[in-house]
Amino acid sequence: MNIFELFREHPGFYFVAATLVPLVSFLLILLASAMWCATRPFRYTPAGAALFNFFGGEQRGRGAAYVATAAIAIAFLLSLTGFIRFTTEQSTFETRIAGLEKDVRDLQAQEAKATDAKEKEELHENGERVEKQLTDVEGRWEHLRNTSWQSHFDWLRIHPAHANDSERGTILQLGFKIDSLSGLMFVMVTFIATLIHLFSMGYMADELQPEVEDHQVHTAHGHLHRRGRFGRFFMYLSLFCFSMLNLLLADNLFQVFVSWELVGVCSYLLVGFYFERTSAANAANKAFIVNRIGDAGFILGLLIVWTSLGTFNFDEIFKQVRAPLTDTHGPVRLAGRFVRGNLEAENASGNQSLKIADNGSQLLLFPRAKPGHYHAIGNSRGEVDVSAAPKSDEHSSMPYWMLVAAGLGIFLGCVGKSAQFPLHVWLPDAMEGPTPVSALIHAATMVAAGVYLVGRCFPMFPAETLLVIAYTGGITLFVAASIAVVMTDIKKVLAYSTVSQLGYMMLALGVGGWVAGLFHLMTHAFFKALLFLGSGSVIYGCHHEQEMTKMGGLFPKMKITALTMLAGVLAIAGIPLFTGWYSKDAILAQALGYVWVHNNHMLLFLLPLITAGITAFYMARMWFMTFTGKPRDEHVYEHAHESPWLMTVPLILLAVCSVCVAWGWPIYDAEKSWLGHNVHHAQHHAVLADFGHVEAEEEYWAAAKAEAQNERLYAHHNHHLAGNLALGLVLIGIVFAGLIYWKRVLDPAEAKEQFPRLHAFLMDKWRFDRLYSVAVVRPALVVGHWFAAFDLRVIDGIIHFVARLMMWVSKWDGIFDNAIIDGLVNLVGNVTYRIGARLRDVQTGFLRSYVLFMVLAAVGIFILLAYFVRMAMAG
Amino acid sequence: MSAAVGLNHFLLLGALLFVCGAICMATKRNAIGILMGVELVLNAATINFVAFAYFNPVFQVEGQVFALFVIVLAAAEAAIALAIVLNFYNNHMTVDVDTAEELKG
Repeated sequence: MNIFELFREHPGFYFVAATLVPLVSFLLILLASAMWCATRPFRYTPAGAALFNFFGGEQRGRGAAYVATAAIAIAFLLSLTGFIRFTTEQSTFETRIAGLEKDVRDLQAQEAKATDAKEKEELHENGERVEKQLTDVEGRWEHLRNTSWQSHFDWLRIHPAHANDSERGTILQLGFKIDSLSGLMFVMVTFIATLIHLFSMGYMADELQPEVEDHQVHTAHGHLHRRGRFGRFFMYLSLFCFSMLNLLLADNLFQVFVSWELVGVCSYLLVGFYFERTSAANAANKAFIVNRIGDAGFILGLLIVWTSLGTFNFDEIFKQVRAPLTDTHGPVRLAGRFVRGNLEAENASGNQSLKIADNGSQLLLFPRAKPGHYHAIGNSRGEVDVSAAPKSDEHSSMPYWMLVAAGLGIFLGCVGKSAQFPLHVWLPDAMEGPTPVSALIHAATMVAAGVYLVGRCFPMFPAETLLVIAYTGGITLFVAASIAVVMTDIKKVLAYSTVSQLGYMMLALGVGGWVAGLFHLMTHAFFKALLFLGSGSVIYGCHHEQEMTKMGGLFPKMKITALTMLAGVLAIAGIPLFTGWYSKDAILAQALGYVWVHNNHMLLFLLPLITAGITAFYMARMWFMTFTGKPRDEHVYEHAHESPWLMTVPLILLAVCSVCVAWGWPIYDAEKSWLGHNVHHAQHHAVLADFGHVEAEEEYWAAAKAEAQNERLYAHHNHHLAGNLALGLVLIGIVFAGLIYWKRVLDPAEAKEQFPRLHAFLMDKWRFDRLYSVAVVRPALVVGHWFAAFDLRVIDGIIHFVARLMMWVSKWDGIFDNAIIDGLVNLVGNVTYRIGARLRDVQTGFLRSYVLFMVLAAVGIFILLAYFVRMAMAG
Repeated sequence: MSAAVGLNHFLLLGALLFVCGAICMATKRNAIGILMGVELVLNAATINFVAFAYFNPVFQVEGQVFALFVIVLAAAEAAIALAIVLNFYNNHMTVDVDTAEELKG
């Protein structure tokens, strides 16, 4: 089978290939650098020198950049092809169904109107025929409705020695699951990554020199000089791309976890890219250690899932924890929901039964095999037999709090990775890495992985967990935005803005806006990557100046950067027709709907609403401070210049995407976004089951879906209300920023003097670092000192004692050695010497005496020979 | 002609020559004399080889070849020995081997 047929048969392989290409690139670069290093001992021999020069010699080549960029570009093309195939397959199906449904409706309407009995019958027959056709098509294409391409194989299998073959043992799988969400994410990640690779070729050009001077590191002999690390940068980028894509590809939690850690390592390596700088090394450590805290939660969640459900596969988990939509008797009551109950005493067959109750302490787990008929969820008996060791077609149960704990654990991992309160402290520090890295990893992709995972695991999150998610997001978005207002480092502003936007996504997921949150994740990736690359261009143009207090009036000097960044600023602020508007509108509408239903959670709407204004203010502040008004620092202004085309082209492309990637028809309708609808395809039915329908418990979910259209939760006017409120605040924010930082009507210093404590509090980042220093770092250090003292006193004491003992033993051993062992050896030597001395007398030195001996010996030998020969002949 | 000359005659001649050579080597103080003794011993061996070659058809070729070898070796040995003697003479102004006792144990 050739490769084209393979792709045609298994379209998911497009994405698998897209994932593997960056890995190949990483390995190639790694191999090349290993060869380069291997020449080190022979570098001055002819063959070694030839090999050394082949790999570029002292001069750094751009080879690594070409390989990495080509790899990610290929990955982009592959995922784009795959995604286009995916959507066409789906839309063909949907238009077909929609057409047939319309036919049925038309015929039914005609039938109702028709007066003539014969005509009526004819129409009825027609209607039935079309309906049959419809069921036919639906049946044939059923697998395409909640489309996902997926497949997996066993990766690791831990088979106990005593188990027989029918027991499968512990199996970890590798697999892929492609739906609209992961398909879109693939296209988004590879597209942005390609642009950032291009940008990096310009931005990292300094690293091409054999010797780079790092102005921020001071040694005893002035600034630090080191070799350039151009290739290494692209090697890390390739590894990151592979890990990120693998994370999106995964169809099970374990594979996600592996990629999760891999992207964490890449982040660590790239944050610490300038590891000679103390600040960068510390930031890298901080990022890694803070993420360890989150990952501890993730592992706990994984363990709970594994022990309770026995699988890591997303679909299998969801199938077990949630009631199926239909069984053999049609739609199921409580369809798609969690079914809770209380355990009753054991019955005759040795099984316990679960009495269904709304607030029961146990969660009913559904069998993994195909559904039969579930009386309990539909009928009045309300009892299900559960088994402690269920077969594949039996029910079992797990404590409900365990599910909550598993959800919280997995969410804690996402809190770490997506820099949510209270683990958000690492992300701003991570800005020590090169700016393209900040754009790719710490804005567009990796930090969004937490949100992505929450979205993926959404069906296994119970309401309690979702509430925690919503509040975490709400607090994060407000705290981060308030800090961003006072930051003066251009990258720090963007970092806090990233944290804040991630908070928006989490909040949206928490209040049931699954589509809104993931939609925002995608639009945010574009404009935040744009903003970061723009800031990179500014920093590059200003010769590595990051302080906005030294910028100003740069607009005429770097028009392309300024205009593209303006597009990003307007998008993140949520100005209509820019991408951010569509997604933020969806989030606010969802939050408003949630608050309508749950009145006591008012904060969940107020926080994001107010923060929308703050966001607009600080983003506009950043832009005005950088590009407008009079220059604040003549020196910086004098030397500022526009970046080369390699850097501006990605900016322009990203700006175009930031403006129009979310457009739909009509453009002005925020609910008609093309991107949003594509995300919607991937939405699990659990989202609607949990949030679509609030009051009428006894209704079937299928009906609930239709009813939900009228519920206030999804009400159309939510969009207008929330959107207009937010837009008002956004405009106020922008006008304020313009007055203060452009026209300079108001002086920010005055405000600072007015509220010195507030300003200090915000500058101190809400004192989180100090809190952690007191609560975590210092106790750790104290314990460390204790251990050090213990080490010094006790461990070292024991070791010294043992050492002295050994010395004493050795002394006696030495004496024994000298006296007895050496004595014997010397004796042998002496005896040999004496014998030798006796024998020397034979050596007279006279030639003739030697000849005499020889002759005598020869004669003696002959006599002996003669004697023996005689003996032999006689004998 | 009385009894034909047989193998024993040749062996007797060889032994006689060997003894002469050995005595010459053992008794002479003159280095050149010792060399001549060596030549005698070698020639004694050569006579034995040739004799055996002639009287024993099995050794026909081998005997001749060994005789030639011995002659060549003798020539080579003589050349080296004479060179040593010459050097010895240059250092000691004599060819008396009893003065050569530096190697005495």
